[in-house]
Amino acid sequence: MAKVVIIGAGFAGHTAALYLGDKLGKKHTVTMVNRFDSFAYIPSWIWVSTGNMEPEKTTFKLRPVYKRMNVHFIHGTATKVHPDEGDQFVEVDKANGDVARIEYDYLLVATGPRLAFDATPGLGPDQGGHSYSVCSLPHVVETRDKYLDYVERMKKGEKVKMVIGTGHGTATCQGAAFEFISNVHKDLVKKGVRENAELMWLSNEAELGDFGVHGVIAKREGKLFTSAEFIEAAFKDADIKWQIQSAVTSVDADKIYWENYEGEKGETTYDFAMLIPKFSGQPLEYIGKDGSDVSSKIVNAGGFVLVDGIYGLDYDTLERNPDAWPSQYQNPTYRNIFAAGIAFAPPGPISRPFTNPNGTAISAAPPRTGMVSGIIGRVVALNIVDLVKRGRMTHSERMSEMVAACVASMGDSLWDGNAATIVVHPVVPDMRRYPNEGGRDLFTTHMEMGLGGAWLKRMLHDTFIWKLRGLPGWKIIPE
Amino acid sequence: MEITERDKFWMNNKLFQLWRFIVLNIKILKAVDHSKRS
Repeated sequence: MAKVVIIGAGFAGHTAALYLGDKLGKKHTVTMVNRFDSFAYIPSWIWVSTGNMEPEKTTFKLRPVYKRMNVHFIHGTATKVHPDEGDQFVEVDKANGDVARIEYDYLLVATGPRLAFDATPGLGPDQGGHSYSVCSLPHVVETRDKYLDYVERMKKGEKVKMVIGTGHGTATCQGAAFEFISNVHKDLVKKGVRENAELMWLSNEAELGDFGVHGVIAKREGKLFTSAEFIEAAFKDADIKWQIQSAVTSVDADKIYWENYEGEKGETTYDFAMLIPKFSGQPLEYIGKDGSDVSSKIVNAGGFVLVDGIYGLDYDTLERNPDAWPSQYQNPTYRNIFAAGIAFAPPGPISRPFTNPNGTAISAAPPRTGMVSGIIGRVVALNIVDLVKRGRMTHSERMSEMVAACVASMGDSLWDGNAATIVVHPVVPDMRRYPNEGGRDLFTTHMEMGLGGAWLKRMLHDTFIWKLRGLPGWKIIPE
Repeated sequence: MEITERDKFWMNNKLFQLWRFIVLNIKILKAVDHSKRS
């Protein structure tokens, strides 16, 4: 009987748990370890952050889902992994205070990111920081409360400057920040106070609409257009000012300090700031049989799990070699350890890296959230099923083959809402397969704005929560 | 590129957007199908 352990019930880990429970759960042991006892549907937090959705509508309890899907659930935090053969187990600090030792034959690390607010002094809502975040549900609720407080002040005539974007030179998840600024704009218009708000986009992107995927080129009425033009049009229409190519270096109570591509240092005053932090890997310890630290065989310096990608290539070489991106997400040293979602180490950036004359890195890191996480979770789960049943893996999917759809809502209304729908295929450009400027399939790669996107976003909320609860037909809904 | 009044009209025209909603669904499903799904 095989023992499979998954650490982390985000999009990647939870998707994997559903497939593993479905295919192995009755005859083998599938165990999920998660810090929280609920699943959180992150894409809809953006509506929570402006007070347009109750937080409870974005969550559901994991235990009943796992009971149905034959997955054991341990509510706790994994702290140590012992990966050496003959003695393979995970140590877990359980929520009830006990320490558990869970043995495994296969381990999937799907921990999501550690929010590295500490990489930027003064960033974040915790530990004396001054900015807000939409990266965890408690942060979203805090952001909502502060935002609504400012709305009340604007109703009394106060002018407020809101700065939204990224809080570190190598932050990712620009899409979430873009969705937040778009929703804030729409919400302020709806509440009749938009003229009292100055909205500013501050990011580390090389161009507007880079989103960490080197921007997007799509076709509209037979003509090519870029995501930079697309987002610029949206910002101009919404009267949102922008500053890009900037690394936030610190934040204090009323100023954000930054450096730009030229190495110039400057500051931006603000009243309210929502800035996405740098992500790093979760601090799991990897301990060998003799008690030594074997982390260097499993994770990179950032704490992300090394898998079957080709690491160490310079950007130009990596850009020409889409096959350097991992396809099975398996650690090359400990071949029964896999990683999915943000937890795996990409072989390099998708957007061209940049370091300014001061030595500060300013470039968007590759996104591995949402659809990408779900797809990788499925691939890893099906490969573990293969290994248990047949002894060899048959599934693979690189980010240079993968499609991702991002629906960034601009207001939640199904009557007069709006959304930017961006489909990229593949996520990592493949110039060999698609020899055009963007390196992507121009038939499926797509960008448009409109009410239809708002309907799509709502439909995704309902269908994905259905799928992730493992309700009838969940497998036919794609990740 | 800019968002014109004409664009805004079509962006909120319910019938046209129903068409775009269908097209977007087909695009995403087609893209999912194009992707390896192996």
